[in-house]
Amino acid sequence: MQAARTAYPLKWRIMDALEGVAAAIWPARFRRATPYLMLLPAVLLVGLLVLGLIQIADASLRTLDTTTFQFSDDYSIANFRRALTEPLFLVVARRSLIAALIVTAVTLIFAFPYAYLMVRTASPGLRKFLLIALFLPFFIGQVVRAYGWLIILGNQGMVNEALGLVGVAPMRLIYNYPAVLFGLVQYMLPFAVLMLAPALTAIPEELEAAAGSLGANWVRTFIHVVLPLARPGFIGAGVVVLTLSLTDFAVPAILGGGSQDFVAIAIYDQFFRTSDQGLGATLALMLVALGSILVGIVFALFGAGTLAMGRSRA
Amino acid sequence: MQEPFRTVASHEAEGGREIAVAVRNVGMDFDGIHAVKNASFDLPKGRFLTILGPSGSGKTTLLRMIAGFQTPSSGEIFINGEAVSAVPPHKRSIGMVFQRLALFPHMTAAENVAFPLKMRRRDARTIPDRVERYLALVRLGGYGGRRIHELSGGQQQRVAIARALVFEPDLLLLDEPLAALDRKLREEMQLEFRRIQRELGVTTINVTHDQREALVVSDDIVVMDQGEIQQKARPIHAYRQPRNAFVANFIGVTNFIAGTVRSISEEGDVSILRGDLVLAGKIGDPVNPPAEGGKASGAIRAEQIRLAGDAAQLSKLDCVLAGTVTDTIFEGERMVYEVACAAIGDEVIRVFDHDPATHTQFEIGESVFLGWNARDMLVFR
Repeated sequence: MQAARTAYPLKWRIMDALEGVAAAIWPARFRRATPYLMLLPAVLLVGLLVLGLIQIADASLRTLDTTTFQFSDDYSIANFRRALTEPLFLVVARRSLIAALIVTAVTLIFAFPYAYLMVRTASPGLRKFLLIALFLPFFIGQVVRAYGWLIILGNQGMVNEALGLVGVAPMRLIYNYPAVLFGLVQYMLPFAVLMLAPALTAIPEELEAAAGSLGANWVRTFIHVVLPLARPGFIGAGVVVLTLSLTDFAVPAILGGGSQDFVAIAIYDQFFRTSDQGLGATLALMLVALGSILVGIVFALFGAGTLAMGRSRA
Repeated sequence: MQEPFRTVASHEAEGGREIAVAVRNVGMDFDGIHAVKNASFDLPKGRFLTILGPSGSGKTTLLRMIAGFQTPSSGEIFINGEAVSAVPPHKRSIGMVFQRLALFPHMTAAENVAFPLKMRRRDARTIPDRVERYLALVRLGGYGGRRIHELSGGQQQRVAIARALVFEPDLLLLDEPLAALDRKLREEMQLEFRRIQRELGVTTINVTHDQREALVVSDDIVVMDQGEIQQKARPIHAYRQPRNAFVANFIGVTNFIAGTVRSISEEGDVSILRGDLVLAGKIGDPVNPPAEGGKASGAIRAEQIRLAGDAAQLSKLDCVLAGTVTDTIFEGERMVYEVACAAIGDEVIRVFDHDPATHTQFEIGESVFLGWNARDMLVFR
């Protein structure tokens, strides 16, 4: 009896029993359905989003009667016409789009050396420091950080005081477009670094050594070897930064001080200030379309990068 | 720094050839650990040198210093008479085949081979021709348009060789590029390396832990252990006249019998005493010979020992021991016997029997006799 117990331990018996129960609930012939079962939560979640989108689409086709504050029963494209013709919305859309493009370019330029150093440094201490510095901003919310910049860059802020010491008159550093761009770049940097780092890790260091021994100095090694091989990382990071900046709310709201509204703020205003859910829904749909078109263009031009999970690597 | 080398260059090396690489008292420390200690050797132009050693022997560090990826902590390396420690890799004329090949995955085979020519700003009109010529040299003519991942392991090896040679470097370095290949392909590529090296006459330094590869491909072997060069010799000399016990043990299969030195003659004959047993042999290392009365060990190759069921068959041999077969290992081309000998405290002696068909087969547990000639036993301190 003792011998049998050691030969077949209790843990195995429990596992056998559990497997038996599992087989009773989900017989082997259902096995082919198992992957779909695992997909179910995600499908439900996306399904809810689609339902929401349908509702938004429905709302976008109804106009608000400003006298009765009732929505029309019949559909019209009046909201879309307003969104495309009223100069305010065009200004906001152009401002968001240009900001997203500038922020993406600047962020990628700043994120690359950071990610490269983090991946390639021989010092584990430095790598740890860079990683911690990267994750620290995530612990402070976006709103708190934006307020932090208000304090630092404000008229009586640290920067202006420091400038005062060297005899420079106080400058308006906040509530303008550059301040919003600055805040967005600062906010996006960790995302970009996180997307770039795996792509750089995937480039064997030996390739750079090889390029050197084949006669390439570091500039040419960078241009001909590192940059092309890091492309999937740039695409992944670029798409993430582009979509996040295009749709950002808090940074333009706080650092823009009401003068630098982005599309997300315009949508908020329609929903919660003018209560025109129809127009708000229209703007939301157009933002989704704009983002999708941009991502589509990037994918069409450059492939899906790291977001393709290595499938498109030709 | 130039001065000491001129004296080296002025006296020409064996065969009257110019020296391509001179390593002078080179040392490398990593955080107080001596990865390479005081290494020196000369490599004449056009020769194929293999640095052979176990992992951690410092062989790769030495190669990386020659390539320029690491700077020696002490000493100097000269390539074609010029001190190169301050010269970055991309300014040295060195072609290197890396351990994991380091081919550029985003380029085709031809683009990989063209890379060093473009980086060295060679005339763009001549590049395609030259690339095709070198692809043909490595027997990959017509494969230029293939992507790296579309090529087999052996073909990738060939692209890496072509890329390292296409700009006609002064020196070719091979950093164990064959280690990951299966045996058949590895042996094929060893011969391929030798063929190409001879065809182009390029001075080559190869690093490996594979003693067979070192023997097969090289003109010279430098054996390294614990950061130190143990011996530099032609393959046949490294094998037949190992300078110390490490080299004797690392190359080939060698049995060691420890004892104390009883007598040494002027001619280099040594006899060592193990219990009641007297073993005659030759001094292995004349520079560092064993001392009379001191400890020493006799080294005898597994293939130099004869095996017989009865002692009379071995009467012509100088030393005969009785033993019992403890294991038989069939390796295809040969049978390996492990024999425990009572006279040396049941230590196991390994014996090769290269022709099992005409020889008697012995079974585990069988009593046998071992014999060898005194001239085949090398005695090291």
